[in-house]
Amino acid sequence: MAFKQHSVLPGFGLSLGYTLLYLSIIVLLPLTALVVKSSDLTWPAFWAAVADPRVIATYKVTFGASALAATLNLFAGLLLAWVLVRYPFPGKRLIDALVDLPFALPTAVAGIALATLYAPNGWLGQYLEPLGIKVAFTPLGIVVALTFVTLPFVVRTVQPVLQDLEHELEEAAASLGATRWQIFWKVILPMLLPALLTGFALAFARAVGEYGSVIFIAGNMPFVSEITPLMIISKLEQYDYLGATAIAVVMLGVSFALLFIINGLQWWSAKRLGRRK
Amino acid sequence: MSIEIKQISKRFGQFQALNDINLDIQGGELLALLGPSGCGKTTLLRVIAGLETPDAGQILFHGEDATDTHVRERQVGFVFQHYALFRHMTVFENVAFGLRVRPKKTRPSEEAIKKKVHELLELVQLDWLADRYPAQLSGGQRQRIALARALAVEPRVLLLDEPFGALDTKVRKELRRWLRRLHDEMHITSVFVTHDQEEALEVADRVVVMNKGRIEQSGTPAEVYDAPATPFVYQFLGDVNLFHSRVHEGWAEVGGTRFAAPEAGDKAVIYVRPHEIDLARNASNDALAGIVTHVRLLGATVRLEVKTDAHEALEVELTRERYQAERWAVGDAVWLTPREARVYGA
Repeated sequence: MAFKQHSVLPGFGLSLGYTLLYLSIIVLLPLTALVVKSSDLTWPAFWAAVADPRVIATYKVTFGASALAATLNLFAGLLLAWVLVRYPFPGKRLIDALVDLPFALPTAVAGIALATLYAPNGWLGQYLEPLGIKVAFTPLGIVVALTFVTLPFVVRTVQPVLQDLEHELEEAAASLGATRWQIFWKVILPMLLPALLTGFALAFARAVGEYGSVIFIAGNMPFVSEITPLMIISKLEQYDYLGATAIAVVMLGVSFALLFIINGLQWWSAKRLGRRK
Repeated sequence: MSIEIKQISKRFGQFQALNDINLDIQGGELLALLGPSGCGKTTLLRVIAGLETPDAGQILFHGEDATDTHVRERQVGFVFQHYALFRHMTVFENVAFGLRVRPKKTRPSEEAIKKKVHELLELVQLDWLADRYPAQLSGGQRQRIALARALAVEPRVLLLDEPFGALDTKVRKELRRWLRRLHDEMHITSVFVTHDQEEALEVADRVVVMNKGRIEQSGTPAEVYDAPATPFVYQFLGDVNLFHSRVHEGWAEVGGTRFAAPEAGDKAVIYVRPHEIDLARNASNDALAGIVTHVRLLGATVRLEVKTDAHEALEVELTRERYQAERWAVGDAVWLTPREARVYGA
């Protein structure tokens, strides 16, 4: 074992073995089963299941709404993290705790709450309806629900980095003649970029797989507000296990590809910051 | 450019960081602010830079009031103890930063920036590192880049906050000599903060010793070392032994040796540096009796600890030659005579 270096900490073999076994059972095994199961399909059948126009419409809705929600939270999350780190104000701890709420809440509860709120006769919906803004039972509602559930990710990844950012960097930039705006743009933001990307990736991944909070508010109209996870469920309900698996494999592939891209970006920017050699 | 500091006070909550500081810094001078941690030296430097607002008082740059000028417009170069380099930029971009953030009207062309940055990198002898990132440099190199970055904006004043504090001894010594040479070439008014008296005495034209938010003494290195104004300055600038004595007709006494104590009242405190004590083997009425308890070889000098009736451990420093002539060992009986001393009223 050439990569095994002598270490004062015992148990390297045991802990690595356990890690690999655990990862295999929990992560790799189900994924493999998924792919193997879908290989029962012939190519034409696979293609028919995956490229059905109704299913393709759900990809657009799911990935589009997820990207939109993650992007919204990229900005809102940065702002929230900024306020929580930079300014002292009463009730700060309460707000800090509130950020985690969407994460802790059962997603179905969130879905029902949002649906009640934005339904045409709901608290907010009744005022939005006359303005011509329909939230519930439209793709917009999906974006709202996904924005709600993915709120904590960017905040929680950016917050510690912002906290540890040396104040001296900003002072140095100011003494060199930079304005507040230039300091933010040229000094602070590049330092936060890896954390922002991580937060974005996590939020996006979570949003793509979100089911519970979305189905209540989405209305689930074919070609308009159906999400891919719902497609899988409805295929399962019709005992079309192979069709469901085929769609799942597509989602898996796209998610993997996106995570790889974002991880690559992150690795590249972390390397520039000298955190990795 | 000259700096005048007038009646500056600064308080952090209950802590009086600066207490009515008055100081004139001449143009082209290299001045050291020296003192223990918490004495206010860094706060004073930050007030000069505009990174801290004083509660009271005025800062004048070349006769003009700069108290309310923002750090951005003050044209000071500030060098931090931990470098504060921008990690996501190459060395080149770090140095160019001050030029790139200028408003469009006064921003130099890309050509001019390139030329200027390479000039500065040559000045700090690190031109070959232009494309590296700060994480790939050693501490000494980083601090030199930080200095080049500060000089890029052609500051009127250069302020350095413990610039060598995070470096190891050898690099520190090299860098401070280099800084001195650099200053001799550029003649830019510079103020640096340090807690290391050796550093201050070696590098600075003038040393300002601070304690508890006040200036204890300011003068050339020779002045503060040879004629310390207060017991604090004397103690801070080197190791000391302390003796207490009654004063008889203007004379204080240590083990039979008399020292003039014109300013002291009834009682005096007498400070003697370890290297200002003579040792002898023969008993004498004019000397303090003691027993050697420790011998430490410190390279060129040898330090003995001697126990006497009044002191648990008096420190005596001998040159290697004098130590070898007598071969003092632990347990030897010795007689001590202070050669020189400074007397302050108790």
